[in-house]
Amino acid sequence: MKKNFTFNHNPLLSEKLPVWRARFVLACLLIGSIALICRAAWLQGVKGDFLQAKGESRYARVIELPADRGKIVDRHGELLAVSTPVRSVWAIPDDITLTPSQSRELARLLNLDVNELNRKVASDKDFVYIKRQVAPDVADRVLAMKLPGIHAQNEYRRFYPSGEVAAHVVGFTDVDDKGQEGIELAFQSDLLGHPGSRRVIKDRRGQIVEDAESIKRPREGEDVVLALDAKIQYLTYSALKQAVTQHKAKAGSAVVIDVKTGEILALVNSPTYNPNNRVRLSGAQLRNRVLTDTFEPGSTMKPFVAAAALDSGKFRTDSIINCAPGRMTIGSATISDAHPHGALTVAQVIQKSSNIGSAKLSLSMTADEMWKMYDALGFGSQLKLGFPGEASGRLRPARVWRPIEQATMSYGHGISVNLMQLAQAYLAFARDGDLIPLSLTRVEAPPLHGRPVFTAQTAREVRAMLESVTQTGGTATRAQVPGYRVGGKTGTAHKIEGGVYANKYVSSFVGLGPISNPRLIVAVMVDEPTGGEHYGGAVAGPAFAEVMAGALRALGVPPDAPIRPMQVAQTRRLDGEAKEGM
Amino acid sequence: MTMRERFAGFFARSEPALPMGSHAAHRAVGRLSGVQQTPRELDPFLIWAAAALLLLGVVMVFSSSIAMAEGNRHTQYQPTFFLVRHVIFLLIGLTAGAMIFQVPIATLQKSASILFAIGVVLLLLVLIPHVGREVNGARRWIGFGFANLQPSELMKLGVAIYAADYTVRKLGDMKSFRRGFLPLAGVVLFVGFLLLREPDFGAFVVITAIAFGILFLGGINVRIFGLLIAVAIVGFILLIWLSPYRRERVLGFMDPWQDAFGKGYQLSHALIAFGRGEWFGVGLGGSVEKLFYLPEAHTDFLLAVVAEELGFVGVMTVVVLFAIVVQRAFSIGRQAHSIDHHFAGLVAQGIGIWIGVQSFINMGVNMGLLPTKGLTLPLMSFGGSGLLANCVALAVLLRIDWENRQLTRGGRS
Repeated sequence: MKKNFTFNHNPLLSEKLPVWRARFVLACLLIGSIALICRAAWLQGVKGDFLQAKGESRYARVIELPADRGKIVDRHGELLAVSTPVRSVWAIPDDITLTPSQSRELARLLNLDVNELNRKVASDKDFVYIKRQVAPDVADRVLAMKLPGIHAQNEYRRFYPSGEVAAHVVGFTDVDDKGQEGIELAFQSDLLGHPGSRRVIKDRRGQIVEDAESIKRPREGEDVVLALDAKIQYLTYSALKQAVTQHKAKAGSAVVIDVKTGEILALVNSPTYNPNNRVRLSGAQLRNRVLTDTFEPGSTMKPFVAAAALDSGKFRTDSIINCAPGRMTIGSATISDAHPHGALTVAQVIQKSSNIGSAKLSLSMTADEMWKMYDALGFGSQLKLGFPGEASGRLRPARVWRPIEQATMSYGHGISVNLMQLAQAYLAFARDGDLIPLSLTRVEAPPLHGRPVFTAQTAREVRAMLESVTQTGGTATRAQVPGYRVGGKTGTAHKIEGGVYANKYVSSFVGLGPISNPRLIVAVMVDEPTGGEHYGGAVAGPAFAEVMAGALRALGVPPDAPIRPMQVAQTRRLDGEAKEGM
Repeated sequence: MTMRERFAGFFARSEPALPMGSHAAHRAVGRLSGVQQTPRELDPFLIWAAAALLLLGVVMVFSSSIAMAEGNRHTQYQPTFFLVRHVIFLLIGLTAGAMIFQVPIATLQKSASILFAIGVVLLLLVLIPHVGREVNGARRWIGFGFANLQPSELMKLGVAIYAADYTVRKLGDMKSFRRGFLPLAGVVLFVGFLLLREPDFGAFVVITAIAFGILFLGGINVRIFGLLIAVAIVGFILLIWLSPYRRERVLGFMDPWQDAFGKGYQLSHALIAFGRGEWFGVGLGGSVEKLFYLPEAHTDFLLAVVAEELGFVGVMTVVVLFAIVVQRAFSIGRQAHSIDHHFAGLVAQGIGIWIGVQSFINMGVNMGLLPTKGLTLPLMSFGGSGLLANCVALAVLLRIDWENRQLTRGGRS
């Protein structure tokens, strides 16, 4: 305090410490404070919007919320197509610096060729997929390598639990989840999920810290409930597969239709494919022959002519038609029966499958009457099931028909149909004369009455004829079903190759059961059997019986056949089956 | 409102002069801890403003560092890593302050040169490799195991004391350039040189401001001072243009949006934080900028987090509190001068300049008014040495105030 004391006695001192300087400095500092407050008010009150927008652009992100593609299920809810989460590994080539060992490790994890991987990451694009649709745990292991420029995104992969059994019905999607075939394509817009989005605030490490707002809710794709019954589908599939294998056929198709509702309970083609693994897929495997392939139906057309004849009032089931001597000349052409018959009743024409009998019935009516009947049955026009590539078949207009054509059409030549059209037409017999539309999806309220084509009386009479086909003396005794009365019609048609009928056949059987109160229509078609047999009754008949028996039991339809003593052994008169054909 | 009433209460009771007790220092410490036994012996505004800043600092350091501490290996993923250290530093600082408060200003004046010399030695030590610790390209710290000492922070107080002592010694030579100005300018330039070697440009600016501010208050010739200002401005501009590192920081400040993800990154995020805060803030803890976007959120850019979480109201509170501290420092200085304690007066005003200039620069940087430089917010930012130096400076200020009151009440000086 000595110095202070000294200064106290220094008269110059008060002059040397001017008070204004302290005030000046303090004022400067306080002005600084005011400047700060003004600046803060400017930033926070006035420029707030601009700055917030800048901030948003840095940490607000719009996140896509994935929406599931709808499931495809059978009528009982069994899964036929379902989406499972997978991830796709992608890369920004510019960001990538891989050491050779990292490349090898990555290629090993993704099961890729190292050269292919290197080629991909050397691409000059901004974005390349390294591998799509890998299992989530594989993608996690790739990400755990923490390689710059390598990323993964969530995706869905379609999985088909029923595999090749329902492949043609369900179809499949491509890698971008777009339907390519079958129901996946036909119901694309229903199945498609609509991804939503939400805006979030992320911290600099990419973690979401705040849910700012939901811009769009994701809309899950709708589930499609098919009319298909997975159980019936499976037994149809195995019966057809067996028939095609046994008879060394090129291909085959089968459908099962519920008579009461018009629902398609099974739709099977052979060859088929596994939709879960479509690496080597041929066009032949892909074809949904039931709908896309037309064929000349052969004798399966005869019952329609018989029904038309009965409806016309000119014939009764027991009206006699002279089919001798097994040949008949119309114009310049001659038609024949495979086996010459004598005089046959209308019922026998069907049972024995006489071409001449059918031709005579057909020629007893005008071309226009015949055309109207065929048209009413749905021939020559698409079923409009919504399936891609559905064929309409060929039914030429009546005015261009020559008599020979009118005659051959009655036994299924000169007209082409697909198997589904043929099966649907048989609804008219099964449903007491009326037709209802078919449906791939489950029908909640089936139509009570359809569009009448034949009278109920005629339908009942034709059903009896159809039953006789499977009974002794008919062409398809092997189509019998134990416990149920069933009926149907065989078809064995020559195939046209290069405009002429070749020595190749399409063997078919279309039938219904039980006769007393029809519930199902089963149609089986086998293309080019080469195993020695080619008659519809022998090739398609057993498959029909197997499917019909299994399906009726699966549906719990009560047996209607009269109880007979158990047959321990049965001798089948294979050679007794009436032959048919051109 | 309650705050204001309390201030009013202190104000009302601050004037009456009552007989002094013999254990004034003891009671003064008691006053600090809130025990009111005797009339005012310390400046209530200063205490409350400083305490508010210190406490707000604790809260904001925790808030701004929690995410960073939780997500960092170096902090062992402990969210309270910085809070715990900040509180420990604060307690150390307060203890040191309480000790310094016991030291008479006269003793401080006698040891001014020694303290300054110790500071210079520390500044030299920090430049020696392996002694000085380098962080982010700047060697500013001397490691002591648990904590690091930043000599430049302590040097700020050292310069205030030394410059005050120098000015008082040379009062008669204040009109002379050679005798009054040049010696101190030389010393300051030497210290500045050491600081720039670290580099610590911010500390250099603050120390220069303290030294020449005290010289100016001590009555240096206005023409010399004007010259000094001109030289300083030219010097700073030269320094800025000669160093690409500093030039980049200046350019970033001019238009942060031009290179918002490069040079302007830090400032643009600080400004966004201000914008997000609006008038009343997004709420304590609600800052997004502190989530790894804004670098140095708990140190240099603490105010930005205050702005985002507490809004304009929070920023204004901080600015006003600093203004109160500065105003009280100048007021205490003036009182000291009025009783001819010129050393004490200049030290008090020097401390006022220190806190005023450093807080102004820091806040100005946060708001984009000034180029970005590494300066913490006094009393609030995380940083042991800075907090310790600030607490000691406050203690010195309070000691001066206390001695003023003793003297005006007729006690022994």
